[in-house]
Amino acid sequence: MTSMTPAAAAARSTLYPKLSDAEFAPCADGSIAAGFGADDSAQATRCGLMDLTPLTRTGFRGAQAAAHLAASGFPLAEQPNQASVTGGGELVLRLSQREFWVLGSLQDMGERITGLVAAACPDSGCYPLFCQDSHGWFTLTGDAGSAVMAKLCAVDMRDEFFPPLSIAQTSVARINAIVVKHSINGVPAFSLLFDSGYVSYMWDVLLDAMQEFGGAAVGCSALR
Amino acid sequence: MKIINCPLNGPRNASEFVYGGEVKQMPDPAACSDREWAEYVFYHYNGTGEVREWWLHAPSGYWFIVERHRVTGEISRTYDPSELDQGEFFASVPGAAEEINS
Repeated sequence: MTSMTPAAAAARSTLYPKLSDAEFAPCADGSIAAGFGADDSAQATRCGLMDLTPLTRTGFRGAQAAAHLAASGFPLAEQPNQASVTGGGELVLRLSQREFWVLGSLQDMGERITGLVAAACPDSGCYPLFCQDSHGWFTLTGDAGSAVMAKLCAVDMRDEFFPPLSIAQTSVARINAIVVKHSINGVPAFSLLFDSGYVSYMWDVLLDAMQEFGGAAVGCSALR
Repeated sequence: MKIINCPLNGPRNASEFVYGGEVKQMPDPAACSDREWAEYVFYHYNGTGEVREWWLHAPSGYWFIVERHRVTGEISRTYDPSELDQGEFFASVPGAAEEINS
C-alpha cells in the first residue's frame, strides 16, 4: 500500500487531523488511515477502532431498489434490519423493505462497487442515497465489541440476542446510528454509520469507551 | 425509560421516538373551504381516551401509528401505516370528528 499525506488528497475524512500518528493510503479519490504501527493486527483482534469514512459506499431507496441491486448481482437479506455479504466482502444492508445500503470491501478498498455508484438507476421506483457524503463510518473490531457497545447503546448486542449480520438502527452515545454486526477475516466487528457531522465526537466517545478493554485506533490494513 | 415497540425495529427507548401528531385525514387543499383547512391545520382533538397518533423512530426515519391512552400513556398497539384504514381515521375517538367539525 502506498503511503501519502492526507491533505494531498481531494477528499479525506474530517477526522484526519486527529490521526496524526497514522500512515495514510489512497482510497477512492481520498486518503484513509491504513496503519498505526506494527501492533495493528493484534490490537484489532483485541479491541480496535477503524475510520472507514473515506471507503466507498452507496444506497438505494424505492420500490425497485431491490430489483436494481439483485440485477447487479448483490445478495439481499429477506428481512429489514439484516445484512448480507458478497463474495468480495461488500456488506449489503437492508434497512427497510425498500432501502438498501452497499458498503465497500476492505479487500479491494471499495473498488468493486464504484460501478454500482456510477451506474444509472432505473427510470422509476429507485433513487440513490448519498450516504458516502452524509454519513461517517467507523468499524469497531475485536472480541470486546459487544462489551463496548453495551456502554453506549440500549440494544443488547451479544451474539445470542444480536447474531452476526444483524442491524440495529438506534441511538449510540445519544447519536442516531446504524449498527451492523459482521466480521473481517474472522474477527468480530461492528460497523457504525452516523451523521458525518459527528465523526469527531463519535471517535472520542468510542475510544473513551474502549479504554477499559485496552482499545486503540487501528488502520484499515490491520485485518487484511 | 419507557419502551415503545417500533413495528420495524422492535422495542426501543422512548427517547428514540418523536411525536408526529394525531392521525387525521387531510382535506383536499384545492377543493376544501378555508374553514376546513384551518380545522385540519390548527384544531386538534383535546379529549381523553384511546387515540391514534403518528410517531417517528428517528434513527431509522420510520413513521408508524401508535394507539395510546391519553390519560395513562399506555400504548396498546403499534403498526405500519399501510395497515391504516383510510376511511376510519376517527374510529378510535368517538365524537372527535363531530367535535372538530362543529
